[in-house]
Amino acid sequence: MTALLASRGRSGLRDATRAEWTKFRTVRGWRVALALAAGLLVLFSYLQAHGKHTGYCTTPSPTSCVGGHPYVPDGAGGGAVADAYELASRSLAGDGTITARITSFSGRIWAGPSNEAPSLAHTRPGLAAWSKAGLMVTSSTRQGAAYAAVMATGAHGVRFQYDYTHDAPGLAGAVSPVAARWLRLTRTGDTITGYDSSDGTTWHRIGSARLVGLPSTVRVGLFTTSPNTYGGQATRATAAFDHIALRPSGDGPSAGAAATWRATSTGIGPRDFYTALGRGGERRHGETILVTGSGDIALAVADAGPDTASDSLLFGLVVAMIVLIVVAAMFATSEYRRGLILTTLAATPRRGRVLAAKAVVIGACGFAVGAVASAVAVPFAEHVMRANGNYIYPAGPLTVMRVIAGCGLLVALSAVAVLGLGTILRRSPVAILAGVVVFILPAFTGPGVLGGPGGGGSAVRWLYTVTPAAGFSVLGLLPRSPLVSFPYTMGNGYYPLPPWAGLLVLCAYVGTALAAAMMVLRRRDA
Amino acid sequence: MSDTTIEVDGLYKRFGHTLALDGVSFTVAAGTVTGFVGPNGAGKSTTMRIILGLDSADRGTALVGGRPYAGLTHPMRQVGSLLDAAALQPSRSGRNHLLWIARSQRLPASRVDEVAALVGLGGAARRKAGGYSLGMRQRLGIAAAMLGDPPVLIMDEPFNGMDPEGIIWMRAFLRELAAEGRAVLVSSHLLSELPGVADHVVVIGRGRVLADGPLPDLITGGESLEDVYLRLTASAVEYRSSAEPETGR
Amino acid sequence: MSAALAAEWTKLRTLGETWWLAAGVIAVALAASAAMLATTHISPGAPGGGSDPTKLALTGLDLAQAVVAVIAVVAVTEEYATGMIRVSLAAIPRREAVLGAKALTVAGLTVAAALPAVAGCLVVGRLLLPGAGIGPGHCYPLLSIAHGATLRAAVGAVMYLALIALLSLGVGAIVRDTATATGVVLALLYLPPLLALLIADPWRRHVEQIAPMTAGLAVEATRHLGSLPDAPWAGLGILGVWGVGALVAGGVVLRVRDA
Repeated sequence: MTALLASRGRSGLRDATRAEWTKFRTVRGWRVALALAAGLLVLFSYLQAHGKHTGYCTTPSPTSCVGGHPYVPDGAGGGAVADAYELASRSLAGDGTITARITSFSGRIWAGPSNEAPSLAHTRPGLAAWSKAGLMVTSSTRQGAAYAAVMATGAHGVRFQYDYTHDAPGLAGAVSPVAARWLRLTRTGDTITGYDSSDGTTWHRIGSARLVGLPSTVRVGLFTTSPNTYGGQATRATAAFDHIALRPSGDGPSAGAAATWRATSTGIGPRDFYTALGRGGERRHGETILVTGSGDIALAVADAGPDTASDSLLFGLVVAMIVLIVVAAMFATSEYRRGLILTTLAATPRRGRVLAAKAVVIGACGFAVGAVASAVAVPFAEHVMRANGNYIYPAGPLTVMRVIAGCGLLVALSAVAVLGLGTILRRSPVAILAGVVVFILPAFTGPGVLGGPGGGGSAVRWLYTVTPAAGFSVLGLLPRSPLVSFPYTMGNGYYPLPPWAGLLVLCAYVGTALAAAMMVLRRRDA
Repeated sequence: MSDTTIEVDGLYKRFGHTLALDGVSFTVAAGTVTGFVGPNGAGKSTTMRIILGLDSADRGTALVGGRPYAGLTHPMRQVGSLLDAAALQPSRSGRNHLLWIARSQRLPASRVDEVAALVGLGGAARRKAGGYSLGMRQRLGIAAAMLGDPPVLIMDEPFNGMDPEGIIWMRAFLRELAAEGRAVLVSSHLLSELPGVADHVVVIGRGRVLADGPLPDLITGGESLEDVYLRLTASAVEYRSSAEPETGR
Repeated sequence: MSAALAAEWTKLRTLGETWWLAAGVIAVALAASAAMLATTHISPGAPGGGSDPTKLALTGLDLAQAVVAVIAVVAVTEEYATGMIRVSLAAIPRREAVLGAKALTVAGLTVAAALPAVAGCLVVGRLLLPGAGIGPGHCYPLLSIAHGATLRAAVGAVMYLALIALLSLGVGAIVRDTATATGVVLALLYLPPLLALLIADPWRRHVEQIAPMTAGLAVEATRHLGSLPDAPWAGLGILGVWGVGALVAGGVVLRVRDA
């Protein structure tokens, strides 16, 4: 009996949905509007992508500028990485162990104006939180190579890290002459294990990494790097290593500080994207090797805004949303114009079902427009942007599909919300007004609009966290890393909420609007 | 030329592929009620809208008191009209609806209360027009037409939605208007509504005038009113479900 | 014409919605300005005194103009929705007179709502700006209407809203459908500034120079006039061209098309 009722309920909704769909598709203007919305989304994405050029200047003189973007390496784990450091290394064939003690770790921070290229001319002493110095095993000194390292850091104690995103903590506290840190890396086959010690006798294993496909001969050595501070100032760090010992497991000789260590500066050329505070280098004082370096070994951040596959969507998406908002408002309020609602309710007396059917129809239309148009626009715009010399932040096919589905949902949900408002108010202009204010005005403060690290204050964060504008988070596809000290703000292209959380916030608003509409529709005389 | 006439001469009007009016000519004389009859879609409303300057004719002229409607200074003092009784803002009261029309014709507000009483709107005038019944809306529309005390009146389907009592009142009212010497044009798609009201009948079908004469002259040889109507409009029906079910689909 | 004016004024004032929307203009302007200033904090070290206190105080009008647009759109499109336009044109066959009278009454109502809205925004600015770091303690003068540029901005803002009303009315007369006309007007107002933020010079500047909102809002600026897309009055003039142009186009459509 219950099953029968339930199936009847479902088929009732299906019939109502069919009726509403017939109502919708037989209005020529609305069909045209949907096509128009999709077309405008693609058109504006193209225009926005087309207008975006990246040039690259090797010197301050404008004549030396060419199209193109700085080189951003792809890291071993996939994704854009920063890979810039100073390394004093030897080659190691087969398994082995390297040990060293860091006795001091200090640095300089650029203190000049932010619009000048950083140099050592104006600096103050200090380290960045993620300045790093320690031991590294790497397949090569090419950028983006697989690696594992154990290191002392500016403010995060000793860490064992590998392949840009993996991290394990060791001893806490900063390095100083009274709190020197002993570090050790061992290679056994594909496995690299990191140890630390405060006295050189009691060793503590921090973690290990399996670097699949590591060649039998690798580079092993002492490295230093120092990233930009949270405020964006370039830094450079120097670490003093002693008690250096590289011992192959086989029959090769051990190497100490007196051996030949090859100095390599990786990733600080003029076309490399990471701004370094000058080139580093090595110096020797007896048994001590001083390694000075600048840069970072971590996930790349969108400093100075690299483009993403979703970047060019914003304006077209907003235009498509306006069109759908208008159509949704008409779809809701046209019922009341000439008493069509009387026929509708005679055909489907369960009013909640009428509203649900309308929501399904306009939601499906919105989703189709948003998803289909962005599925066309994203690869198209990406192609155009690349042709203009822009760097596109790498995004996997799943991420791109998530953005496309997110665009569809964003358009669908905004249309459904306005359908609810239109049903409550019975007046299209006020529903449209509310829809536009909620969905268009936040776009003025969205990413790609706010410039520089100053953009995106607390008001903007708040806007994209608790208001329906949070739904725009579906456009976000830049990964964050806890291993990078960087303002992940709207101004830099990072939404405060992850995509699905933002969509959930929007859903809460849409659900409220729809529930209110349901209640009003049930209680009110038609 | 008397003020109290409507002269329609050779009106043509095309909407896309449809020829709505195909040379419509007739006159409405002072002191008469002229019935304007035809099936749905025959061109009655279009003709009336052209007389009132709402639509423009492709060819031909429509004069009221010898002048085109759009040339009249306070046209509603010359021609009162009721086209669509539902054409009002539902959230405005009936009295305020009449008031804005009065202002447009430089008529005093006192005239509003006079016509409201004349059509029997009474206390309902202060309620929102959205809540009116169809019959009440008709009365409000007629009140609006009577505001300027015009010598010429044009009414599209004034009997629509009226209860029997209202229809009796309407007939008497129209007769009285003619007796006062006004020219009255009343459209209807039911010929049976007209005996006892109309002196003269213009039958229209597919944009052409099919018959134009005094009502008694049209009925010859013992035909019933309905027979006459069906004979005249036989070739001019847009859709008649009982006779030809497959047409108009 | 005066009869048409009296009729249109009667129409406008006998609708309850009119007064709610007019009150909405004032409420939205004040609320948005207050919210904006309450969440703004300019740090004293920010470069070069870049803020324009008057413009900041009047931010609420960016939002309130949408309500003005709705008032004006509805004033004409509702007549089509109900069919009352035919009664209106039967009463006044001179169609330009109908539209002209509508324009005057709606613009008049807008000015009547804009005066307290603008004055209120300036008072809100005077009260809240010092707390946002833009006050006498931070090398900014206290907001005052006695300041010539502020007076110009205030008068200009009132005129701005009136011109937005004319633009909306014209679009309403062209489009005739309430929802479509509302969408068109809001898109016309809010999309070009967004577009300008996303594209590069020189197109960005051209868009800002000719778009109704960005051009018209130049009149609210009191500082850094050199960096504006248009000079204050010239910008308002461009919005005037939009408003009058839309109105004339609406008049032509009204005249040519069957009602």
